[in-house]
Amino acid sequence: MLALIYFIILAVVALGAAVCVFLSRHPLYGALSLVTSMVALAGIYGLIGSPFLGVVQIMVYAGAIMMLVTFVIMVLNGARDSKTPMFDKVSLFIIPAVLVLAGLVGFALTRAPLAFDATTLRGSVALTSRTLFDVAQTGPGYFVLFEVLGLLLLSAMVAAVLLAKKRLGSVDTENTEESH
Amino acid sequence: MELQPIYIQILALAIFALGLMTAISRRNLFFVLMGVELALNAVNLSFIGFAKTLPAEMSITGQIVPLFSIAVAAAEACVGFAMLILLFRKKESVDSDNYSNMKG
Repeated sequence: MLALIYFIILAVVALGAAVCVFLSRHPLYGALSLVTSMVALAGIYGLIGSPFLGVVQIMVYAGAIMMLVTFVIMVLNGARDSKTPMFDKVSLFIIPAVLVLAGLVGFALTRAPLAFDATTLRGSVALTSRTLFDVAQTGPGYFVLFEVLGLLLLSAMVAAVLLAKKRLGSVDTENTEESH
Repeated sequence: MELQPIYIQILALAIFALGLMTAISRRNLFFVLMGVELALNAVNLSFIGFAKTLPAEMSITGQIVPLFSIAVAAAEACVGFAMLILLFRKKESVDSDNYSNMKG
């Protein structure tokens, strides 16, 4: 019963913040609503028994990614271009289409028999790390994915630096930039 | 009344729908990227909600996959916002209609 009350509070906060993202005019308000939504979702993760994921959600999503988002918004000063309309005529078709899609998926979901399993494991730090770094031959092999993910993040970082760096002022570099 | 798995899935569905609407119908490029983040969050929530309906050993998988999805989202946000900076420097605008040069 208590779990349901906590869930309803967190769900209302998450949904309300998501609606704010959809309807807010300034990107900075949207980003702050998105942080609120992510923190509420982290609370739900902890509530249903994945505390490690909740902490990762707060540290990586609400901390790192949203810091990047607000930083970019402030650097580019997104408010300078405040005459951009929020929606156009195409939205009239997109919004009902997405709502109908959600209704269909929700209909299918409510007909599926779902119940919490009593023997389900709590995703604590110890258990998650033991499964993630299980290097046994018969293990699930998540550590390979983990290594690949390191390469992905490294290449994403290099790509971001190369894309967003200021063009250097010398004639030499400008010529090579032109020829590309 | 107890907390049921279907409530979590309905919440994930609602947030996913809102993220999809934000990503497709908003015209500001910042909101397009933020809508994608919102939809990815909803998918993570759905993963964890379904993981809790599985018996002992199987329930761990559903709690590890979101870790990878969060890391991929970090890479996506990193590259996406770098491209946004590049686009903004070219045209000084965040309206996605200004970038329709490739329209046929």
